[in-house]
Amino acid sequence: MTTQQIPPPAGPRQGDSPLITRHAPIDRVFHWVTALAVLLLMGSAFLPILGLKFSWVPLHWITGVVLTIAVLFHLVRSTFFRRLRCMVFGPRDIRDAIQGRLAAKYTLAQKLMHAGLGTAVLVATVTGVAMLAKVDTPLWTRNPYLLDASTWGVIYVLHGASALVCLTLTMAHVYFSLLPEKRAYLRAMVAGQLTRAEAAQFHDPQRWSGQRKDDPRENHK
Amino acid sequence: MELVRITRNAWGQETLEGISWDLLPVAFALGAAIIIGHLVWRAMKSRASRESGQSPS
Repeated sequence: MTTQQIPPPAGPRQGDSPLITRHAPIDRVFHWVTALAVLLLMGSAFLPILGLKFSWVPLHWITGVVLTIAVLFHLVRSTFFRRLRCMVFGPRDIRDAIQGRLAAKYTLAQKLMHAGLGTAVLVATVTGVAMLAKVDTPLWTRNPYLLDASTWGVIYVLHGASALVCLTLTMAHVYFSLLPEKRAYLRAMVAGQLTRAEAAQFHDPQRWSGQRKDDPRENHK
Repeated sequence: MELVRITRNAWGQETLEGISWDLLPVAFALGAAIIIGHLVWRAMKSRASRESGQSPS
């Protein structure tokens, strides 16, 4: 009886390259709660339009409330407790991308995706919160006369347009996250960490070390 | 193709109802175009790297 050579498991091993933290657990929970909420919201909005009839309103408004809480949490956390500028893109990001220089924590593509999808989700959330006034729930009674008909029309257009942008960008986001060369980012969004070698492919260690706040290298920007 | 849905009430006034759902396949097609476009660009880049004897980044 021969013993088969078992290949080493795929993925990072601590012995190969040190692991560094990319996403804190709370940020990963936020990401996956938001992802699930957006998928449920798009499913409950678009499937009835495509002919799959079901009682979509309760699922839609309850998931919408969950998404609103998640978005508020993220806005407060990223504005007051994290460095907002690490996600804001500017001329330097474009220059770096053109010149092939390594990025800081987020690449230009990641910042653009965040800006696009973030804006679409924010518009859908704000308009969705207004539209909650049109739904009878155990928590409140509907008041369709809160706004006049033309204002409701604008809100519906913005809500629908942002939902369509969400569909396009979610498709692109899921596709890019599944690319083999970007798989490390997906793993980091699940487990929180990258190997230093994986990070060094796209990120300048002088500008993003992956260390926590108490690490002196964190001050290199 | 309409961009928005407009209804007319009993008094003949037009009311904006929302975005036209004719745009749903357009949004899906745009997403598919981004994916296919990137796949093509990636394949061309990989081929060019192979031909020049470098490994694709």
